[in-house]
Amino acid sequence: MIDRLRLKRHGILLAFVLPALLFYATFLLAPAFGGIWYSLTDWNGLNPRYAFVGLDNYAEALTEDPSFGHAVFFTLKYVLFMVVLQNALAILVAVLIESRAKTKAFFRTIFFMPNMLSMIIGGFMWMFVFTRVLPDLAVRTGLSFLDRSWIGDPSFSFYAILIVSLWGGVGYLMVIYIAALQGVSSSLKEAAAIDGAGVWQTFRYITLPMIYPALTIGIFLTLNSSFKVFDAVFALTGGGPGRETQVIALNIFEEAFGFSNRYGYASAKAMILFLIVLVITIVQLRLMKRREVEA
Amino acid sequence: MSAHRYERREAGRGASRGIGTPRAGKSRGSSSLPGLLALLTLIVGAAFTLLPVYMGVLNSVKTEGEMLNGILSWPRHFAWGNYADAYRKIDFLRSLGNTAAVTAVGLAGIVLFAAMGGYKLSRTPGKLSSFLFGLFVLSMLIPFHSIMITLVRIAKNLTVQGSTVGLGLIYIGLGVSMAIFLYHGFVKSIPRDLDEAAVIDGCGEFRLFFSVILPLLLPVTATVAILNALWMWNDFLLPLLMLTDSSSYTLLLSTNMLFGQYGNNDWSAILASLVLALLPVVVLYLLLQKYILNGIADGAIKG
Repeated sequence: MIDRLRLKRHGILLAFVLPALLFYATFLLAPAFGGIWYSLTDWNGLNPRYAFVGLDNYAEALTEDPSFGHAVFFTLKYVLFMVVLQNALAILVAVLIESRAKTKAFFRTIFFMPNMLSMIIGGFMWMFVFTRVLPDLAVRTGLSFLDRSWIGDPSFSFYAILIVSLWGGVGYLMVIYIAALQGVSSSLKEAAAIDGAGVWQTFRYITLPMIYPALTIGIFLTLNSSFKVFDAVFALTGGGPGRETQVIALNIFEEAFGFSNRYGYASAKAMILFLIVLVITIVQLRLMKRREVEA
Repeated sequence: MSAHRYERREAGRGASRGIGTPRAGKSRGSSSLPGLLALLTLIVGAAFTLLPVYMGVLNSVKTEGEMLNGILSWPRHFAWGNYADAYRKIDFLRSLGNTAAVTAVGLAGIVLFAAMGGYKLSRTPGKLSSFLFGLFVLSMLIPFHSIMITLVRIAKNLTVQGSTVGLGLIYIGLGVSMAIFLYHGFVKSIPRDLDEAAVIDGCGEFRLFFSVILPLLLPVTATVAILNALWMWNDFLLPLLMLTDSSSYTLLLSTNMLFGQYGNNDWSAILASLVLALLPVVVLYLLLQKYILNGIADGAIKG
């Protein structure tokens, strides 16, 4: 009797979960496990036959592929800048917006707007700004530092990519930080003000510890998204000139669907990307959760 | 619900400012130095945020010649022809329809299947249930780039590659796990007595779900729908891999094609098509922004 009841319960559970599970298994789980398998082969997409090569692909990616090494380094640099700048700017904007009374909704609408747009569209619009508007502005105003090869020179296009990414990403985190700031009790801040704390001290010792959980989320989201950055770089520089501004995702994309079609090798690179993201986000969550409890 | 709370809180703040304790006046009003500085910073930031869009819209109604004369200046005569040109080049209506079809198929599947799964997983105790839930949650850290190569092969084998409906089906598979996670959390707030009462009244499992539970899930459905619609509408890489024929191109793919064809030169047509491509999203944003902002905050904090 009990067994039949349990069986029925399992049956109903499966009936409800099956449609989702079916799509999920086909289009996410299967490719994920397939990717692990193919990363151990020399499959090239064209030839139906392929051989098991063990960890050769991983070894090649990590030791014999300067373009991949460069992409990893470029991505790490980008992630570092993004984690610091995106969160700092988002908190700044959130605090400033929360301090306004009448114009609050207006500024929030504007700062969030880029988030609604695809970074492909945003990237193309910025490309117009970098290649046409800024040189024009430099000539007219004499501000010669604006007239750079923002797209063509990799030392400047790193910052161009950064600017576009921040433009598109700050608004999203701002919404999260605004929600967190609204949870900070104003009586606490008023008490601090009565005790003679300045604006900075109130922020540092009252507001910041109170929004620490949001900071954990904000940094987690930034890490997670910036390791996978693709659209902004694709739209702005396409990884060029050469492979100078190639990020990991673009390097994988080009390896698989560009000229070489080395699917097995590209899969190994994709697994390396996955492992990097996994390890770094787990470490980040562990570290920050621990501090959250203390704070 | 939460939109209401938001408004009330803001109204409350406005009122307390109206009463105007000296302290509040000092830190909030724009007459003081910090207040002025804050306002100025926000204005600079807002100008920076609007810059590329403003430049794009402004120059989309100029001819190439007038652009050379002055990129920043107001157009002397509006070259609306750019828009007719762009409309034709990106096949606007068809691209828009394709994008809408992909998003609609994906959204319908994600909302329906994730609501069913999330509800039942949340209600059923036991090992099987927590194993399945864990299986869904597990994948949320896998980068898309780690699955895309094999996904292309699978899509080819299942012959869902190349069609907008097929692309929508793939999005269901990629989107359900996050949606199940959100539904799973929300269902906990719905009292179980409701299920039991309905069952006692002789309501079957599926009828219970569709006529009692699903309507109650509306707040989280709104969040799920907004997050996923935005993602699918603005996604570029998956359509790039899946849609091979230009007749099934989405707005982003059609716009991207313009760059391939014209090598960055024909900015007046490109800018006009960029404006056309972002128009639907901006209009929707201005209409629904309260729900969108709340959905984003909810989704991020619970996800």
